[in-house]
Amino acid sequence: MVHLDLLYRVAFHLAKDQDQAQELVQETFVRALAAHHQFNPGTNLKAWLTKILHNLFFDRYQQNKRWISTDDPAAQESDDWKHRPAENPGPESQVLHKELSANVTAALKRIPEEFRAPILLVDMGDFSYAEAAEILSCPIGTIRSRLSRGRKLAQQYLAAYVGLKQKGSYSK
Amino acid sequence: MTCAEAQELITALIDQELGQAERSSLEEHLSECSVCRLAFEEESALKQKIRETGQRINAPGHLRSRILSDPRIFPEKNRSPRRWQDYLRPMPTLLRPILAFALLLAIALPAFYFFKPRSEPIALAALEPYDRFLRGELPVHRTENTDEIVGQLTQAVGGHFHPMGYDLTAMKLRPVAGLVREINGRKILVAIYQGQGGTLFCYTFLGSEKDAPPSAARFFDAAKKMNFYAFSRGGVNAVLHREGDIICILASEMPMEELLALAKSKAKPS
Repeated sequence: MVHLDLLYRVAFHLAKDQDQAQELVQETFVRALAAHHQFNPGTNLKAWLTKILHNLFFDRYQQNKRWISTDDPAAQESDDWKHRPAENPGPESQVLHKELSANVTAALKRIPEEFRAPILLVDMGDFSYAEAAEILSCPIGTIRSRLSRGRKLAQQYLAAYVGLKQKGSYSK
Repeated sequence: MTCAEAQELITALIDQELGQAERSSLEEHLSECSVCRLAFEEESALKQKIRETGQRINAPGHLRSRILSDPRIFPEKNRSPRRWQDYLRPMPTLLRPILAFALLLAIALPAFYFFKPRSEPIALAALEPYDRFLRGELPVHRTENTDEIVGQLTQAVGGHFHPMGYDLTAMKLRPVAGLVREINGRKILVAIYQGQGGTLFCYTFLGSEKDAPPSAARFFDAAKKMNFYAFSRGGVNAVLHREGDIICILASEMPMEELLALAKSKAKPS
């Protein structure tokens, strides 16, 4: 099924929940079929499906949260991320990679959706800024600034685990 | 360019979204400013980690079945024992294109992607022998004579170019074999190193930086003024760089950070 893995990947990191992610992907295909006449063959199917998925996510899970403050995203999350061991688990690279992936996923979860979505699209989905801007219905400049801000947040959250040093003098 | 201006552009440089003028200007600044260079390297490393994390997450198998059995997508399923043709006749005209589109999505497109000729970037295709070598399925002529390996590989390409011939004894790796691969008519020299440090493949072939996979993360080394491209396939990490018209790829299961540092230490500016 075309782009299923990518859609699930984006949905999982948007919704932060496996069941919601599966439901989002399934509904994406339903909506895509219902709106198939709006798709121009030969254009970017991946971006079209991802836009449907993001709109669906926003409609279902974000609309009611629109006025929730995201001033202090770190304060909103208190999951097991904080309780993971900080030390390197060992020399085995596979173990290290799994640990790192878990930490990256946990760090992404803590980033507000408006900064997280561009990261998911550009870094995980290999979308260009123009494609991400189209999917998220915002200007390209916004994608660039939100990516920059989102990655800085991710770096802060990951710093204790992967040795990325915080850039104090340039953090906004 | 000031540091503040550079910081504004670093994200776009990493994502290869800068124009030539801004890119050159920023790269010049990075070659002179260690603070901004560190910021660039950290953000590049972060992007690579996020990419690798994404690649580890795939849709669960039962989701595919769930979608395929969704009556809203495939309305003909599980309704009655009527023949399938009966569903088409009474179907409202509007629904027919929907069914056609569903079938296209479910069958035709995957089939198209599956059967279409593989246009995999040469750098990714080149990594394929790594697993086969580890499983002992790759027939290679083993020798511990470095000169013999270099000589045989050079001879295989008529002396047009040479394998890199890196000395990796500091990494507890020594050359054990060499082989020549041909992908899309291009010859690739492969020197295989093994030892306490694990296994490392060093690929050499004629090409350009365009041979790096589009998904690779680019790292600019300001000291050597060279680009390094990091990418993975399966559990194998790889780093590509260019020396003149020669492309070199180091591939190993060692962590990407170590492999990148190794490639940077061995690379010679053109």
